Amino acid sequence: MRHPVFRAVVVGVFVVLAEIAISQDEQAGVQEGAQQQVTYQNMTPEQRAAATRAFLGLGPEPDKAAAALGTPLFEQTCAFCHGPQGRGATGSSLLTSDVVLGDDHGEHLVPFLKKGLPEKGMPAFATMSDDELKDIAEFVHMQVEDVANRGTYHVLNILVGNSALGQDYVAAHCMSCHTAKTFAHIGSKFRSPQQLQRGWIWPARPVSSGDSSLAETAAVKTPDGSAITGRVTQVSDFRITVVDQAGKTNVIDRKPGVEVRMKDPLAAHQEMIVTLTNDDMHNVTAYLDTLK
Amino acid sequence: MRLPNGVCAAIATAALAAAAPAVPHVSPRVFLDPNEIGKAPITSWPTFNGDYSGERYSTLTQIKPANVNRLAQQWVYKITGVGAQRGAPVPMIKCTPLLVDGVLYITIPNHVWALDARTGNPLWHYGWVDHGGHLVGQRGVGIWKTTVYFLTPDNWLVALNANTGKELWRKNYADARKQYFSTSAPLVVKNHVIVGVGGDAMDMPGFLDSFDPVTGDLQWTWWSTPRKGDPALNTWPNEPASDHGGGMTWMPGTYDPELNLLYWPTGNTNPVFAGQGRPGANLWTEAVVALDPDTGKLKWYFQVSPHDTHDFDNTTAPILFDRVVDGKPHKLLAQAARNGFFVTLDRVTGKYLVVKPYVPLDWSSGLSPQGEPIPIPDKDPTVGGSINIVNASNWPAPAYNPKTGLVYVNSVEGKAIYYLTDDSAQPSGYGGTGDGIGHAQRVLQAIDPLTGDAVWKHAYPNLNNAPTTLGPSILTTASNLLITGDDQKNAIIYSADKGQVLWHHEIGANESGGVITYKLDGKQYIVFGAGDSLYAWSLPQ
Repeated sequence: MRHPVFRAVVVGVFVVLAEIAISQDEQAGVQEGAQQQVTYQNMTPEQRAAATRAFLGLGPEPDKAAAALGTPLFEQTCAFCHGPQGRGATGSSLLTSDVVLGDDHGEHLVPFLKKGLPEKGMPAFATMSDDELKDIAEFVHMQVEDVANRGTYHVLNILVGNSALGQDYVAAHCMSCHTAKTFAHIGSKFRSPQQLQRGWIWPARPVSSGDSSLAETAAVKTPDGSAITGRVTQVSDFRITVVDQAGKTNVIDRKPGVEVRMKDPLAAHQEMIVTLTNDDMHNVTAYLDTLK
Repeated sequence: MRLPNGVCAAIATAALAAAAPAVPHVSPRVFLDPNEIGKAPITSWPTFNGDYSGERYSTLTQIKPANVNRLAQQWVYKITGVGAQRGAPVPMIKCTPLLVDGVLYITIPNHVWALDARTGNPLWHYGWVDHGGHLVGQRGVGIWKTTVYFLTPDNWLVALNANTGKELWRKNYADARKQYFSTSAPLVVKNHVIVGVGGDAMDMPGFLDSFDPVTGDLQWTWWSTPRKGDPALNTWPNEPASDHGGGMTWMPGTYDPELNLLYWPTGNTNPVFAGQGRPGANLWTEAVVALDPDTGKLKWYFQVSPHDTHDFDNTTAPILFDRVVDGKPHKLLAQAARNGFFVTLDRVTGKYLVVKPYVPLDWSSGLSPQGEPIPIPDKDPTVGGSINIVNASNWPAPAYNPKTGLVYVNSVEGKAIYYLTDDSAQPSGYGGTGDGIGHAQRVLQAIDPLTGDAVWKHAYPNLNNAPTTLGPSILTTASNLLITGDDQKNAIIYSADKGQVLWHHEIGANESGGVITYKLDGKQYIVFGAGDSLYAWSLPQ
């Protein structure tokens, strides 16, 4: 592996991906892994695809250039029976085919295509060149990749809501805490509508970049009467770590008599998530996206 | 490396043989009578759940609330020399160790170790070089007489000599090129080695295989989705959809010897998030199925998540226990399902007693006449995103304590936005994705299985989200101990009846596998894996 640092990061994050479908939990990734500089969310699409490929133990990577050359060939010769993406039409789906999944780069598929399966009505493609058949094979492998490697997935156009209704929702539900300033240019602050949707529902806590305005805080009283307030950096049943106004880190054992009162600036958002309807979510995102 | 006792015995026998021409008889150190597996585990932990019930309950009482504060670490075995594996920067023990005749067996993907339970010293190691498959976890081995069974990521059932670690035979039961992979612990029932499989990246059907413990010959296969001629096909739009409908069997099931029924939890439907190509309930994915272990024939099923579109992968252990209900003894089965519903069934018939949410959820409009939660279509993943719960439980073991009558589960309360990324009429693979939103809170719950209501709850304070795929397992004892852990490297013991914290200790990593207990040389041990290390605790002499 040419990028050992990247690799360590990638595998750390994937501990979290394990056994769920969803790459939902980057915070837990930080907790699990050792050297987390890049999270799955921040990877380039190519990094995601490669990392997911390694994680899942998928077969060899399809040859993209060859697959592109194979696209029109597949359309002309195969799509009529197997569908434009090989997912089956009058003929079977190729995505789960034994011959396809047993093949790396055409070594089995090329001779197979030359002969066809006449007994099942599949013609022989004996007149096509090996290179052409190999390109078709890579196209089919690319279709498998697009399905099996979920690191290649991307959301579609999520702006499906009604902007005017979204504006009404914001006016009715958000302005008791926020002002128009909160939403000014919000539509241009995110990389994608998906990030915008995520960002307005559950804003990131940019503590590491020096902004602790959204950090959870605590007021801790100890039996000896001392009181500590500040930003919480860790809390369990047994210990709490608080950075006070002076920047001092206080580690307090939660022994009997220690009182802890925590406050989360995002508590109202946590409550909103529990009841937010899909329509309201879509409408608000559509509205905020217009605030460029 | 230490000589196994069996070697000494062989030498002794050889000396005797010189004097008298008797038939040489070597008694191996490790020998597990398969008839012993179902009994209460006291001086052994011979199968994944300790016994067949899935209760993870120990009758041992040497360690009790009055003395837990004297618990002391006896030894630690740290896995070294393995390094990063695909998917794990450091090895993580996700197995439940087995203990037979003073030997502990632990696993990670591609590796098995036999350890001396008195010292934690390794007796032997077996390594496998995989050719594909997913190295996400390994739940442990199964044992029959003197043979250990181990599943590899690329779907080989490997039989090893329990005393030497020497390979006896291997058998491939699924194709890693089709994205099948294996993490499970084989379940040994009578003369059956029962093996489940995982893998939902492609649209493949789940199955359960039973193998002969001596020869490795296939005895039967049960498919998780119906085949031609089966009436259950009417829960699928067509045969190809059923043939590629998922329903993986990647966690060990439970077994009732009296009824001679296996209870197996089946995983998520395929395509995973995109359900538009498979209208219908999609049997027998997302279910608990009762099977005859001698034939693999289906006796009954209860589908916990009909037409799942959220990877509710119904693989949390179905726990078996007996209770008196309305004055009559009942054989019951309970599952704190990943879809957020707590389910209690009559395990003779499969009829439901309780189906009730145990985490806040709003994806169901009610129950069918059979008691199955009815999903609300608006909660399905959509192009614009749809909010629903994260998995409320997962593979980490829940428990049942017959003294308190409560089921214990480390649950997760949280939400995600589920996006449909493939809105075509013929989706394939996952076809969608989920994006966690808000805080995901881990909550330890003690649930009355006759009502589905929590008798007590304990929310673990944490700034970070609870990982839904990792988390401590649970063990309880007759001395009212509940042994588990948090997501901040603390092993914790609670009182089982009230949920009071009795003891905690910060260890090197989060508890990551099954917690077991047993008596060895008169001393009760608590043993569990956390990260790359196995810890053994007991009271000092």
